[in-house]
Amino acid sequence: MLSAIILIPLVAALVLILWPGKLEAQTAKVISGLGLGLTLALVGLLATRFDLAVPGFQFEELLPWVEPLGLTYRLGLDGLSLPLIAVNSLLGMVALYISDPTLPRTRLYYVLLLVLNSAVAGAFLSANLLLFFIFYELELVPLYLLIAIWGGAKRGYAATKFLLYTALSGVLILGAFLGLVWLSGHSSFDYDSDLAAALPLAQQITLLVALLVGFGIKVPLFPFHTWLPDAHVEASTPVSVLLAGVLLKLGTYGLVRFGLGLLPEAWMALAPWLATWAVISVLYGSLAAIAQPDMKKMVAYSSIGHMGYVLLAAAAATPVSIVATVFQMISHGLISALLFLLVGVVYKTTGTRDLTVLRGLLNPERGLPFVGSLMILGVMASAGIPGMVGFISEFLVFRGSFLVFPVQTLLCMVGSGLTAVYFLLLVNRAFFGRLAIAPPSPTPQLDIVLPSVTWRDRTPALVLAALIIAFGLQPSWLARWSEHTTLGLYQPYERMALGKTPLTTLPVAMADTTLIAPALANSIRLDPSLTELTVESTPESKVEVYTP
Amino acid sequence: MTQTLHLTAPHPLEPFIQRLLRADALLPDSRTNVLEVVGILKSYGVVLDAYSKNLIYIADHQFLVLFPFFKYFNGKVTLPQLLRHWWHDRINFEYAEYCMKTMLWHGGGKMDDYLDSDDFLQRCEAAVSAKIKPNLPIRGLHGLFPDFLPEQVRQLVYYSALGQFWRVMSDLFIDLSDAYDAGTVTTIPQVVAFVKAGLVAAAANPITYAVEIDGVTYDLLPASAELTFLMDVAVPYVEAVFFRGTPFLGTVSYNAQANQISVDQGRFDYGALYADPLPIGGAGIPPTLLMQDMRHYLPDYLTAFYQAQGRGLDDVRVKICQSFQKSMFCVTSASLQGLLPYPADTQNPTEQATNHQFLARWMDRLATSRLDVVQL
Repeated sequence: MLSAIILIPLVAALVLILWPGKLEAQTAKVISGLGLGLTLALVGLLATRFDLAVPGFQFEELLPWVEPLGLTYRLGLDGLSLPLIAVNSLLGMVALYISDPTLPRTRLYYVLLLVLNSAVAGAFLSANLLLFFIFYELELVPLYLLIAIWGGAKRGYAATKFLLYTALSGVLILGAFLGLVWLSGHSSFDYDSDLAAALPLAQQITLLVALLVGFGIKVPLFPFHTWLPDAHVEASTPVSVLLAGVLLKLGTYGLVRFGLGLLPEAWMALAPWLATWAVISVLYGSLAAIAQPDMKKMVAYSSIGHMGYVLLAAAAATPVSIVATVFQMISHGLISALLFLLVGVVYKTTGTRDLTVLRGLLNPERGLPFVGSLMILGVMASAGIPGMVGFISEFLVFRGSFLVFPVQTLLCMVGSGLTAVYFLLLVNRAFFGRLAIAPPSPTPQLDIVLPSVTWRDRTPALVLAALIIAFGLQPSWLARWSEHTTLGLYQPYERMALGKTPLTTLPVAMADTTLIAPALANSIRLDPSLTELTVESTPESKVEVYTP
Repeated sequence: MTQTLHLTAPHPLEPFIQRLLRADALLPDSRTNVLEVVGILKSYGVVLDAYSKNLIYIADHQFLVLFPFFKYFNGKVTLPQLLRHWWHDRINFEYAEYCMKTMLWHGGGKMDDYLDSDDFLQRCEAAVSAKIKPNLPIRGLHGLFPDFLPEQVRQLVYYSALGQFWRVMSDLFIDLSDAYDAGTVTTIPQVVAFVKAGLVAAAANPITYAVEIDGVTYDLLPASAELTFLMDVAVPYVEAVFFRGTPFLGTVSYNAQANQISVDQGRFDYGALYADPLPIGGAGIPPTLLMQDMRHYLPDYLTAFYQAQGRGLDDVRVKICQSFQKSMFCVTSASLQGLLPYPADTQNPTEQATNHQFLARWMDRLATSRLDVVQL
């Protein structure tokens, strides 16, 4: 069934390629929509059959492929990948829906969108390291072409830069995977959390550094970020939505799945440095965003900042913080997609994204009041205002990380404050005041009439906004899928849960945060032996383990 | 051979002065301008009719009523009317009061002078005493603050005066619409001439105000004060509402503490001829109220015209404001032509110069108005 998620978009792409004669843009869109719609429906169906209590892979599919190389076609779905697969399908639909029907070379455009969707789904579903790498590399091709062909004026430069950076990222990841398997003496690249268990710490750290840089480019983390603003600025709106909403998540997913999941000891050894790196990324992204006069670049830099939270939470590696990584990925996926979508509408309507020029777009009669309202909602969500998913994810990141890395967490919270600063600057400049889309002119000008935004353009933003609010009010709808998987990701914790690690060796943070997770979602069924235990972390504090 | 040097440069708005002198208008003549101006003045006429009736009702029947909860009901308080009021299915009478208060604040004309005269104060005191006779607390209040109730009465005088002015203007604009429908008015100069004729015809109409308290009539604005329609109400109205106005946040961005608002009322330029139509639609902006009211009474041809432009009816209130502004430039043209010291076609050079100077002074004030935009 998982293969269908990868294959359906590919089949749709094949239909488009083989379509005889001239293919009308609308027909291509409908066929692509059918493919992605089916995929989304299938993900929904899988979600209904997903066993929340199983931390490992479900619906596994295994097909021997190039066995001498250790490459098998092994797919699996767990709590980490399911939400990301869902976001990929959803944002794929959104990107398709908002694609301009008058684009040139529509057949190629829709084929690339479908291949991109398929490749990303494949990467999230891969339970084999080489297979992941193949899909990871595969998505570069359509994305490169989507930017290079349908991008802005400097699309060639941006696309090439993107390709060079992410190709280097691929090389580093491949090197790390090869090193991991060869050094551990395994013959298969199948995902196994014990793959590096026997490796010395130094080797683990070396491999982890390669993965960190490789995925750090994709995330992107400072100082490997410079491709992202260029790519965003030059990419069309649907591509920006996918880039920010899904493709960056391949980086954070890789960090959590392969960095933390395969090399936990090295991860814990480097964790303080990772947390500090996260702080630098968050503060750099936020401060750079403040300085941007281009609305789209501002949102792009905000992505760099917000992806830093994922690294902080992953570095802390407490049960709550690991859940928080998933939350932050989904939250950022939805919020950044919404923001890029709205920036796209503003650009389409006004012809500019220049914050030194745009004014008063909230004008109720001639501006973009609906878009402006959604933009305010989006920036509030991004700044972590309660009631929206951004608050939940940031709260979990900070709550889960604070006791482990208090200083870094506090500094990241400053970054959260800075989010409010730059987004309020954006809203204040572009949406308040007298309506203007051009610098003041000495000659008399007719009053501005912006074309009205149709419901067709509003609908996808509305759907994303609804999800942002829904998950903000009911975080358990999101947490329930991931809790068990994320609990299982951290091996020492799992050993503790199974009674193999003495409870006295647990950090206070871990015992403390054990109590948080169940409050988010359904109760976690812990090992029965735990229900009778009490953690004596300090003489003053007595923490009881949650009993369902 | 010598040449005469012209040391005085022509006025920057000289073409507009010349237009007014040859009975043309500040607004260019075009088919769409005529359609917009006449159409909007028709709906304005309907709205002015409602405003006028309510202003006169308040002046006559809500005299010194401290809590005039039902002042917008014109004496007909029924449950269905209350429900419609709460549902806001009604005319925004607040806009009429905004105009009245603007006139009260800016003053001008003989009426303003009369309201400060001893004669008025005596008449006012008599009416106030009769009104508050049975009300001990208010009598005490009046003793402590003797200027308070007379100021309220002055405001009621303006209620009545503006009501009387708009009564005439309402009928005039409806008649203009009828003339347009009949095909007798087809150009902007004809519109201006029609309005000017109406203003001149009503120029000498007396403006009076009396209230009845316990069966006794109190003349607060007696005929003996010799206040007339054109010079004592129309001109101060144009000055207060078309030219000066009041700065409202939402229409004008200002910092009063930084003296961005002139302390000299005479230098105010926030009136209808200067108003920026774009903020229309925002809550709490008085012109929005008028545009809301007018949209209900647009003639079909004007609705169709708006429907075909830009955002259709989505931004109709801004479009109404733009048309309204054009119409106000026509009314201003008519007023200025009506107020010329000498006939526009005089051949006497001295009179011509006087006329020119008169118009040049007004043009100085219109330099920062939307005059240049309505030409586009």
